[in-house]
Amino acid sequence: MSNNLRLPPVFQPATYCAFMAGADRIIATIRPTLGPVARTVAIQRPLDHRGPEVLDNGGVIAKRIIQLPDYRADIGAMFVRDMLWRLQEQEGDGTATAAVLFQMTFNEGVRLVTAGLNARRLQRFLEEGIEVILDELRRQTVFPGAAPVSDAHHLSQVAFTVCQDRELSDLLGEIFSIVGGYGRLEIREGSSRGLEREYVEGIYWERGLLSRQMVADPQRLRSELEDAAIVLSDLHIQEPQQILPVLVTAFQSGLKRLLIVADEIADSALSLLFANNKPDHMQILAVKTPGFGREQQADFLVDAAVLCGGRPFLRVAGDTFRSIRSEDFGRARRVWADLRSFGLVGGMGNPRQVRRHLAALRAAHAETDDLTLRSKLHERIGRLMSGSATLRVGGVTVREIEARKALAERTAAAVRGAMQEGVVPGGGAALLACRPALQRRIDATNDPEARAAYQILLRAVAEPLRTIVANAGYDPSDALAEVRMAGTGYGFDVLTGRVTEMCTAGIADPVNVVKAATYAGLTSAALALTIDVMVHRTEQPSHATPPPPARRKRL
Amino acid sequence: MTRIMQAVTGLTAIHAVAASPTFEQDGLCFAAGSDGLRVSTDGGSTWRDAYATFGLREPLTTTALALSPAFAQDRAQRANSDRTIFAGAVGGVLRSHDDGKTWRIAGLPTPPPFVTALAVSPHYLEDGLVFAGTMEDGVLRSWDRGDSWAAWNFGLLDLNVYALALSPDFAHDDTLYVGVESGVFRSSNGGRAWRETAFPMECAPVLSLAISSNFAANGVIFAGTEASGLWISADRGVTWRTVSGWETSGPINALFLAPTCAQQPSILAVTNVALCLSHDGGASWQVQRSAELTGVTCAAAPAGVQPGAQVLLGTGDGRVLVCSL
Repeated sequence: MSNNLRLPPVFQPATYCAFMAGADRIIATIRPTLGPVARTVAIQRPLDHRGPEVLDNGGVIAKRIIQLPDYRADIGAMFVRDMLWRLQEQEGDGTATAAVLFQMTFNEGVRLVTAGLNARRLQRFLEEGIEVILDELRRQTVFPGAAPVSDAHHLSQVAFTVCQDRELSDLLGEIFSIVGGYGRLEIREGSSRGLEREYVEGIYWERGLLSRQMVADPQRLRSELEDAAIVLSDLHIQEPQQILPVLVTAFQSGLKRLLIVADEIADSALSLLFANNKPDHMQILAVKTPGFGREQQADFLVDAAVLCGGRPFLRVAGDTFRSIRSEDFGRARRVWADLRSFGLVGGMGNPRQVRRHLAALRAAHAETDDLTLRSKLHERIGRLMSGSATLRVGGVTVREIEARKALAERTAAAVRGAMQEGVVPGGGAALLACRPALQRRIDATNDPEARAAYQILLRAVAEPLRTIVANAGYDPSDALAEVRMAGTGYGFDVLTGRVTEMCTAGIADPVNVVKAATYAGLTSAALALTIDVMVHRTEQPSHATPPPPARRKRL
Repeated sequence: MTRIMQAVTGLTAIHAVAASPTFEQDGLCFAAGSDGLRVSTDGGSTWRDAYATFGLREPLTTTALALSPAFAQDRAQRANSDRTIFAGAVGGVLRSHDDGKTWRIAGLPTPPPFVTALAVSPHYLEDGLVFAGTMEDGVLRSWDRGDSWAAWNFGLLDLNVYALALSPDFAHDDTLYVGVESGVFRSSNGGRAWRETAFPMECAPVLSLAISSNFAANGVIFAGTEASGLWISADRGVTWRTVSGWETSGPINALFLAPTCAQQPSILAVTNVALCLSHDGGASWQVQRSAELTGVTCAAAPAGVQPGAQVLLGTGDGRVLVCSL
């Protein structure tokens, strides 16, 4: 036996017990965080002597649990942790729902498998049942306000169900009603005690002026050009002769305000720009091409060329400025630049091309399963929507600011999801409403494994509502009975202690989060039921590193 | 439709006309063009320079006009009514509170925008909201009755605005539409953010918009295009279809709807060569063409679309025609 397999493998019947013990341990820490009247979990920080971290997010709690002392239970715990971590990375929320769904499904499944049912066949029927649930969730989906535009009131209600912070949810509702579902929102730490928002017209990139000498307004450390011509490139300009054709063509075309975007401009070439940068002759700004690496720079150049018109000059295509013509210049109504960033307002590209380009990016965003690519596409779409918002989160202590900023980020992701894909009745009501469809499947089959799988799911879909109600201090059985009597769309509002129509009361969950949590929790449990042997490595890979890049399954 | 009068204003080309809601009694109307603004107080027979007291060295090209919705509704109450008129120029919006006798100018954000359309909130006296559509700079909004202006173009992917239309129920639904080079955009939060509608891009530009007076209930909005005819949406701009009975070619420069809650309202569409009137929501049209109507660029229907109501038409060669429906 190799050194890293010194501990004995675990076989049945111990496998299920050990796996369940580990999974139950981690889920027990997350369960109290589900619902609007959730409680928090304090976790000691391992590397410093500051006080414990107080958390209310299942995904973050799961990340913080590195290892369990019992190596047999540890495998179960890490299995659940990995599932929750991926879900957190993918959707930003829904981890507690996934955890309780997993626990109910796995524990019930273990009971039936040990009673003699076939685990593989059970897994197959569970997966069929998951599709039934996802179909039911799709059927219940509504858009907050009138789709696809959403008003601030509905959006703030969606935000409130996630964050339970009225001030934050009102601000996020306002922000997203303005910037839209794909809009650009930066959440930063603020210096005040509360929340502040700022809207910026136009588009900006995090690349600044190539020289301080180009700063026209020394007080604001900023320069502005009106009706500017723009040269887009990723070229390395080493000699003045390389950039001279730009100045000559601009002068001959009567262009007196010029923004040059290049990856690098050597000092000697910059000197030529300084020599010509005179207010009565020509105003010139030069900034570095935004983006890290060729791919990001190419994305910028494509987007900017569509937005402003003109032709991008590409190093990879062997372009130089020697062939530049007046129609190669892009145009914008206003351009600004400081030492850290530059932006433009009113790009004068063809608006039809801009809209087609945006539609193509949106389609690519909807199509791709690659989370990294989704994030990049989202960023590009957000920029092209010609406006952005910044939310500054303040507070009294650093810990408060960090916690509220994390909450704001999580809520913003949920609101975006709701705007893009819609919402379902919140508080576990949407999952509970899947029960009739599952019951019909049970009634339609005599296969013992199929019936067992649907029975498991029938109980599992009630578990999020039971947990939310229990966390709020009510009796889950009484609440469940009342909700069943009320009908579809109704749920238990734990803030008022009454059964209510959830969407009308503004209690809604983003459907993408509910579907992703359901899929992750149930498919993971179905898979875990097929585990028969557990082999433990003593030299473990670091659990502090995230799981490999996730792919987002389209649900 | 009968022609009542044709007059030469002295302008090279007319970009916009406007008339008092009580035009048939007071005869007050305005014509804006490349040489400034003209005003008439005798129903368009004679015109004088509205900017005469302004002391301008050069003619001020005026491109858009809008009257306060509360403009002299009742002649008897004229002394107490709102007499505000807005005129859009390159780089500024002018405002007069006294039938165009004196003017104040408010500068727009630089670089100077070219104002193509103006729209005043139906509840202007309470909210003081005025919107200006521009070429290349999108929509500017004023919260303070035209004193200061700021651009609000979040989500407006096309900044070339030709037409602006506010919901009659604007105080409650905060909804307005813009017709642009590539289609129609909608704002449902008072112009703070814009969203695309499904208007087909290949059928744009949209030169004119008209919203049903019963918009809150029926969600009907019409869009007149440059070369693709007349379009209608019956779901607040979400989906669009062509108006089946429309067969006239040419750009639809102005659109007016009867201020009634009828299911099929009367519609007046003004093209560069014809006046087109429908009394059945666009199913059938009476089209009037004549040599005089050639080159019509703009129109105003101070009393709305109803039998006998007068309509002002401005032309590209500086004439103003007054017609009776």
